[in-house]
Amino acid sequence: MTPIAAADLRDRVRRALERVMDPEIPTASIVDLGMVERVQVRDDLVEVDLLPTFVGCPAKDVIGEDAEAAVREVSGDREVRMRFVFDPPWTTDRITEKGKAALREYGISPHWEGGPPDRGAVVVPLLAKPAGIPCPYCGSDRTVTESSFGPTPCRAAHFCRACRNAFEGFKVK
Amino acid sequence: MPEDDPRLILLLALADDELVIGHRHSEWTGWAPHLEEDLAFSSIAQDEIAHARVLLELAEPLAGRGVDELALGRSPGEYRHAVICERPNGHWGYTVARQYLYDTADDVRLAALEGSSDADLAAAVKTIRLEERYHVEHARIWFRRLAEGPVQAREHLSEGLEQAVPEALALFEELPGEEALLADGVLPRSMSDLLSTWLVGLGADLESVSLDYVLSRHKRVGELVPTSSGEAEEGSTLEVPGLERRGDRWVAVGGFAGAGGRRGKHTEDFDELWEEMTMLYRKVPGATW
Repeated sequence: MTPIAAADLRDRVRRALERVMDPEIPTASIVDLGMVERVQVRDDLVEVDLLPTFVGCPAKDVIGEDAEAAVREVSGDREVRMRFVFDPPWTTDRITEKGKAALREYGISPHWEGGPPDRGAVVVPLLAKPAGIPCPYCGSDRTVTESSFGPTPCRAAHFCRACRNAFEGFKVK
Repeated sequence: MPEDDPRLILLLALADDELVIGHRHSEWTGWAPHLEEDLAFSSIAQDEIAHARVLLELAEPLAGRGVDELALGRSPGEYRHAVICERPNGHWGYTVARQYLYDTADDVRLAALEGSSDADLAAAVKTIRLEERYHVEHARIWFRRLAEGPVQAREHLSEGLEQAVPEALALFEELPGEEALLADGVLPRSMSDLLSTWLVGLGADLESVSLDYVLSRHKRVGELVPTSSGEAEEGSTLEVPGLERRGDRWVAVGGFAGAGGRRGKHTEDFDELWEEMTMLYRKVPGATW
């Protein structure tokens, strides 16, 4: 079998990773979520560095396994080394435009202007602070963040006072 | 395990604080006063235990033991967390006071460790701190919520602070081998220096809700916000031993309550927690899921 050229393989690995979805957000790939930091093809090795979105993400291990399996399918004889790294830290602004669309499609607001208040900012108990993001259902700005803690470590719980729908948003990081 | 490696002691101190308080937070799952708090404490617990795992992964090569073994396979005396982390949740006022004290203290030391000469630790801490912001936010919201009354809520918070502050100071107990950590920049600032920084913020927060009397050792009445549940009564104020206002800053006086955690000295509360936390690991060695 002719060995695959490094540059070609790199593209193939990238494309393979684009098909690896976050199991908790099945519309968004790990590439769109900005989790793929580095793909390096060496003579006998493919190295992939991933960034965890939230360290306690229960899907992290599954994502690592899925990504490794996807890369193995295209990497031929080369070994695959998949690891999670923390440098640079993953932040919300790594999510691509395509990723934002994928979040929206799944009902999660991709806007995150309403991040945590700075020290000294007025804290309105018990959260119910203006979310600063439009409602994904009716578009109203009359939204509040009910809690920074939603169904997963990466999502906050918001509420729209106009259409009275609860909705989720990605936490700013 | 090379018990006297200062870097290992630092990593275990940080990891064990997160692991043990995370375990306590998880005990609110299903029992918190309302659904949002159930989710909040469950989520914070999930974060803290995950942070412990990251830190224990860094400790692995130094300890020569795997992550699971470090987390669950040590004897109680080998854990390096501060005693405040092992205390039972108690009432909601104590829970809020403890979470507020712990997470604001944690934020001070993490901010310093972002500049650690240990690049792996600095990188991990940067990621961890982005998540801890939400814990601090949660703690501040509840701190203010209870402090602003009604009086019963303020009293619960005051009781919680009275109980928790002396032991929270020991989060900054000097680490065995700290001098070496400071010399090579792994720990950029000494624990006593970090304690001073934390006390500035703590004093300001307490004063912002007129809880300064809590720490001043001067019993006074009349600072409580009058609310529908009535005025504060004589005797409902309190003092916290170990802290004193000197001029415009708060200082720690005397020894820490519950000191010794960093050297593996714990209370019966930890024996009970350890029994539960490590039960599966001990009964079914090598269990995975």
